[in-house]
Amino acid sequence: MEHYNMNLNLKVWRQKNKNDKGGFENYQVPGISSEMSFLEMFDVLNERLINEGKEPIAFDHDCREGICGSCSMHINGRAHGPWAGTTTCQLHMRAFKDGDTITVEPWRAGSFPVIKDLTVDRSAFDRIIEAGGFISVNTGNAVDANAIPIDKDKADAAFAAAACIGCGACVAACKNASAMLFVSAKVSQLALLPQGHPEKESRALNMVAQMDKEGFGSCTNTGACEAECPKQISLTNIARLNREFIAAGAVSK
Amino acid sequence: MKWSQFFGTSIGKKLLVGATGFFLCSFVLVHLAGNFQLLYNDNGEAFNAYAAFMGHNHLIQFIAWGLKLVILLHAGIALQLTFRNRAARPVRYAVNPGNQTSSWFSRQMAIMGSILLIFIIIHLKDFWYLFHYGEVPTVTYKGEEYKDLYQVVQVAFKELWIVIIYVIGMIALSFHLVHGFKSACQTFGLNHVKYNGLLNFIGVWIFGIAVPVGFAIIPLIIYFK
Repeated sequence: MEHYNMNLNLKVWRQKNKNDKGGFENYQVPGISSEMSFLEMFDVLNERLINEGKEPIAFDHDCREGICGSCSMHINGRAHGPWAGTTTCQLHMRAFKDGDTITVEPWRAGSFPVIKDLTVDRSAFDRIIEAGGFISVNTGNAVDANAIPIDKDKADAAFAAAACIGCGACVAACKNASAMLFVSAKVSQLALLPQGHPEKESRALNMVAQMDKEGFGSCTNTGACEAECPKQISLTNIARLNREFIAAGAVSK
Repeated sequence: MKWSQFFGTSIGKKLLVGATGFFLCSFVLVHLAGNFQLLYNDNGEAFNAYAAFMGHNHLIQFIAWGLKLVILLHAGIALQLTFRNRAARPVRYAVNPGNQTSSWFSRQMAIMGSILLIFIIIHLKDFWYLFHYGEVPTVTYKGEEYKDLYQVVQVAFKELWIVIIYVIGMIALSFHLVHGFKSACQTFGLNHVKYNGLLNFIGVWIFGIAVPVGFAIIPLIIYFK
């Protein structure tokens, strides 16, 4: 693809802290290379803000390889920007044209309060995992690989669910700020495997209860989460979570 | 988890909305089959006999009252979930993706459902209330006297504004069920590659299109007859 430079108008959400009201700031960002990543474009802008003695824009990032789930950003109304199956760090500036105005907002959800600017607190996800997203294992030496036979299709489905990086794009994209795709991926990856069976019932019940307690909305099956998920987690996981929850609820005391 | 806790969770409430939704789907099929008797050229004999049977059979009456309760339950829980869902995002986005990530129908369930609820209230007042508690002319077939609901319907659907309200109600039904049937299936965990095509067909073509069109053509035929 041919390289080009572009001048951009950036409309970025600035918010000092959780209690600040916040608002949009406009920035002119000239000379951006089409080969930069979206976060590199922010690095360029932040360098300039620091040189000007201004407060740089706070945003989450870590691996910049699309696997850690740190980056967020709602770009022109899309979680992780316009590309499907892509995190913000893997979104490249060739997705934009010279003269574009780009609106960047933080994930919007009551359960994800803004810490600063584009950084949100996603610890609600950690608490959901703590409620049941684990398995019990014996201590001691690691068990031999393939000691427990697992159906190939199930192993593949579990692996696909385990691709969830917990970035929160599903919550950000959902009109109800529902965390069902995240919870369903975490329940599915364990429910599909024999290792996950001992806690199968308590897991589904406790993780859903924690999800509700955190104040996430409920799922209306619009499919926006699946469309925006950078790891393309399937809606079939939500159906599986519903089955797990119904089955667990029916037999629990 | 006790049942009271189970049905207090978001998924538990959605299951109630889905179950009542399935019941209402089955109801519209029966209702539509009965309504088609309005199109017979028998001066209302079949329809009036059917209305008399439905109005007097104890089992049917029991289900009819249950049906009203189901409608209230469906709407009540769904609205409660809707308000909760809105509260889950206290600060809205400045830019929204529109139809890029989800279908328009799937996002308008509460609006279409509310229009339907208003329509159902109007509809019950127009015919059900009138039939049971109002003044209805009578007609005699083979020596037996029947309330002439057929005639009431014929007169009502000669009014353009009533026909318009009924067509709007059916458009709302269509948009509600295009997403509603499939959504209820997903809530009950019915999502399997071998059956999704069939469920999609039933949801979109039968409940989303055929049933609302079937209902809507009755006032239109009567109006233009």
